[in-house]
Formats: sequence, C-alpha cells, structure tokens
Amino acid sequence: MSGESRLGGRLLIVGSILASVLLVGAYLAAGGSTYEPEQVQDPCQPREWSDPQSLAQLANQFTNSALDGAACELGVSREALARALATEEGRERFRERYGIDDERLTKAIRAGLLRAVDDAEEAGALSPILATPLRATLQQIPLDQLIEIVNDAEGLLGDVDSFLGPAADLLEEFLP
Amino acid sequence: MALAAVPSALLARRVGPGRAASMGLAIFAGAGLACGLSEELSTLIVARCVQALGGALAVTAALELLPASVGSERRAATIWAAAGATGAALGPAVGGFFTELVSWQSIFLLQVPVALAAAVPILAVAKHEAATGVIEPELRRTGRPHLWANLALAMVSAAIMAALFLLVLLLIEGWRLSPIEAALVVSAMPLAAIVGGKLADFVPDARSRAAAGAILVSGGLAGLAFLPKATILLTLPPQVLVGVGLSLVLSALTETALGGRAPQAIHGGWTISSRHAGVVIGLLALTPIFTADIEQQRRDAIDAGTAVILDSTVNPLLKLDVAEKVSGQLEGERGKVPVIDPAFEPLPEDPAERAEVAQLQSELQDQLDRGATHAFSTSFLLAALLGLIALFPIALARRVDL
Repeated sequence: MSGESRLGGRLLIVGSILASVLLVGAYLAAGGSTYEPEQVQDPCQPREWSDPQSLAQLANQFTNSALDGAACELGVSREALARALATEEGRERFRERYGIDDERLTKAIRAGLLRAVDDAEEAGALSPILATPLRATLQQIPLDQLIEIVNDAEGLLGDVDSFLGPAADLLEEFLP
Repeated sequence: MALAAVPSALLARRVGPGRAASMGLAIFAGAGLACGLSEELSTLIVARCVQALGGALAVTAALELLPASVGSERRAATIWAAAGATGAALGPAVGGFFTELVSWQSIFLLQVPVALAAAVPILAVAKHEAATGVIEPELRRTGRPHLWANLALAMVSAAIMAALFLLVLLLIEGWRLSPIEAALVVSAMPLAAIVGGKLADFVPDARSRAAAGAILVSGGLAGLAFLPKATILLTLPPQVLVGVGLSLVLSALTETALGGRAPQAIHGGWTISSRHAGVVIGLLALTPIFTADIEQQRRDAIDAGTAVILDSTVNPLLKLDVAEKVSGQLEGERGKVPVIDPAFEPLPEDPAERAEVAQLQSELQDQLDRGATHAFSTSFLLAALLGLIALFPIALARRVDL
C-alpha cells in the first residue's frame, strides 16, 4: 500500500473520530443526557406551601396536599392517585393495578384530606377555628364525597369560608 | 436470507449464474406478488420466506454475472458491495413513501415488474448456459470465508439495523409523524450514503474505510441516543454520520470478504448471510430492551405530565376538566405515546386562561416527547457500542488492497 493511501486512510479515521466526538459532545452539552421525563416527587415528603393569593390557589395547594397524604398512605405516586380519582374508569384501573379496595382507598383519602387541613393550618392559610370543624366533617363523609372534595377543594373551602368565615372572624377578634 | 444465501450461491455455481439469477428473480417476483395479495400474516410470512430464497439466489448469482459486464472481478465486487450498502440505506425511505402514498402492499407489488425487468437481460445468458451446459469443475472448489470481515459485517449490520429501524419507529410511534414524513426525514441517510460512496473513491485502503465507517455509524447512533430535544432537525447530523458510515463500512468489509477469494458467489453469499444474521441478532437483542424502555418511559411521561397538570396555576375547575380528558387519552392509548391535543379543545375564551391552558398543553407535550425520545436512548447506545466493538474484527481483518 502506498504512503499516500495510508495517509488518506488515517485522515479518514481521524476525521470520523472528530465528527463523532463533536456531535456527541454538542448534544451532551445541549442537555442530551438529561432529556427525559421529570421525576415525580415522593408523596411522603412535605410539599412546600406558598402564601395563597386567592381561594383558587389555596384550593390547589389543599388538593395537592390531600393527594400527597393519601398517596403516601397507599404507597403510590400522587399522580397515579390523581388519575384514579379523575374518572370512574380511572378508579377501576387503579383498583386492578394496585389491588386497593374501596375501604382502603376511603381511609387513605380521609387521611390525605386531614393532612391537607394540617398543612394548610401550619402554613397559616387556614384558620384553626375553620380547621377544627373541617376535620370533624372529613371524619364522617363517604368515599364519593371525599373524592368530590379532592376534585373540587375550592368548593369545599369556599363553603367553609362562607358558612364559618364570619363566625371565625368574630371569634378571632375576641380570642387572645 | 441469512440461512439461504450460501446454499443459493452453491446452487448458482451448479446450474450457472444466468439460470440461477433468472430463476431467483422469477421466484422473487412471484413471492412478491403473493406478499402484496396476502390477507393474513401467516401467508405474508411464508411468502416473505420464499422471497428471501429467490432474492438470495438472484443476488449471489449477480456477483458471478457482474465481471463479464464490468470488466473485472475487483470492479464487480466494488459495485456489488456499493449496491448492497445503498439498498440498505434506501429501503426505509422508499418503503415509507409507498406505504403512505399507496399502501404497504404496494411495496411488494412494485417489486414484481422491477424483478421481471431485471430478469430480461439475463435470459440470454441463461439460454446460453442451458445450451452449453458447461460448468467448469474447478470453479466448484470453495475457499474458507473471511472470518473477521464477515464477523465485523454482522456486528455493523446489527448496529445499522438500529439506526434504520429504531429511528423510523421513534419518528412514527414516538413523535407521531406519518410514514411519508418519516420517510422524508430518513432520506437523509441514503443521501449521505451517496456522499460516503464518493468519499470511498479517494481512500483505497479497505480497512481504513471500514474502521472510519464503523466509527461514524457508532457516532451517529450515540448522537441519536443523546438527542437534546424531540426535533426532526436534530436527527439530521446523526443520520448524516450513519449514512456516510454505513456506505463506507459495508462496502469496505464486503470488498475485504471477497478480495482474493473464489468463487465470488459463495463468498458474496457469506457476506449476505453475515449481514442478515447481524440484523436478526440486533433485532433479537434490542427489541426486548426498547419494548421495556418504551413502557417504562410511557409511564414516567404520564406521571410527569400529570404532575404538570396538578402543579399548574390554571383555575382548578378548568384543570379538572382538562385532567379528566387527558387522563382518558393517556390511559386509552396503551403502548403508544398518546395524542393530547383533543383534551385541550376547545380552548377557554378568556385570554388569560387561554394562555395558561396553552402553556399547560405545551409543558405536558414536552414531558411526553421526553419520554418517547428517551425510550430509545439505551437501544441506540447499545447499537453504538456494537459498532465500536466491530472495530476489533476490523483491526484483525487481513489487509487487502483493492
């Protein structure tokens, strides 16, 4: 083989290595190694509460806390539970997939809602005077209504506020 | 094809290349017609197997016929090898066009006139062989196949299979492109293969071309494994590398496997056997990996997408409506990346809410795109590794100057 041919061959190999390294390096630098779905948070870890600016925001955080609490109880992700509660078919699939019956689900959702009340109270987003009757109510109601509350926390918090809010304001004025 | 190539080459040597090629093309055309008309999977599989027999017979016999047309065995080997490399690169693109423009059956039906047209000029040679009936006995002696070149061909073919097959799958199943759009995208590979073919003319050393080709194929596959975004444009540079690489490595290794060896048809048969065995092994090894990855990534993407909805600041009642619809879409399309657009229709009339929902849709789509793209990463990376491992047999292959 001639020297020229050998040089041509070497140049081709070096060029190939350079082109490959440049491409892979550029893609890695652009985030190619981390381009994957974001990992969901462990529901048993506390989720930070921000200061809610509206009832809708309060309801949003309340729902997330409730879902976290219930998911932690059941050992599933908050997201899987949320999908289960979104539709009746979702609930059926959830039962089949995780082997969780309605009794266990009721217990977990109740625990989740109670955790949400605790979290809201701790964050100063819910008055202790409103929190106490809310806890008592949550202890009594059946599964379908519990799911409705998780799905429509704004309605629940709105109702509680409109029924008990004025009384709470009055009490808070007299309490030390 | 992997099993039929060498016996077909032996048959071609026994009955004469002209007769074997015409017979092979006739079988190929007939089986192609059966494939195109088949209504059941079992019939299609049987017809495809018969087509492989015909194809193997025609392709190996062609290698015996070529020297008479092009002047020398060396030139014949180069043309035959280049044709094989170009065909490998061109297949998915052409297949995609016909699948969408006409039907999948049209791919097979189109092969019928093409194969018959190819048989016409060979008929004269076949007639001459039938009249003379002379097959020189000394030509029946067969040397040992080139182990290292054939081994490298098998490994590189497994890697190239990943580039051709998995990329099409990513585009259609992952990014939801239509077959014709996917065909257009993967056309970058055969175009680059043409450039690679021209590049080969400047470097006579087959081993250097094979090594450079294997490196480029691996580099391109690694690029596909580390795509930083689900964008068609970003698939083009890796495709260029794979296209140039496959053209260099397949032709160089085929030339090396054939170089100085006789009879050409038998050794050509070994190269076809190695290439197809590589494709089968690659499919067997990578299919369970990417199937499991797709399911895992689908679940991760759905979880991440749900998290996006739950954490968004969209009005809770509106969010609930979207969540219900998205949940139905996500769970409904098992094994596939779901289409989420219908879940967001109609968009709210309020401009602020509309913007928030559009943002939510975009974030959700991003998570699904991430999942679909990442699902293929491990398989692309393993294929890239296989391409790099092929450098060992390439280094061990005896230097042959062609």
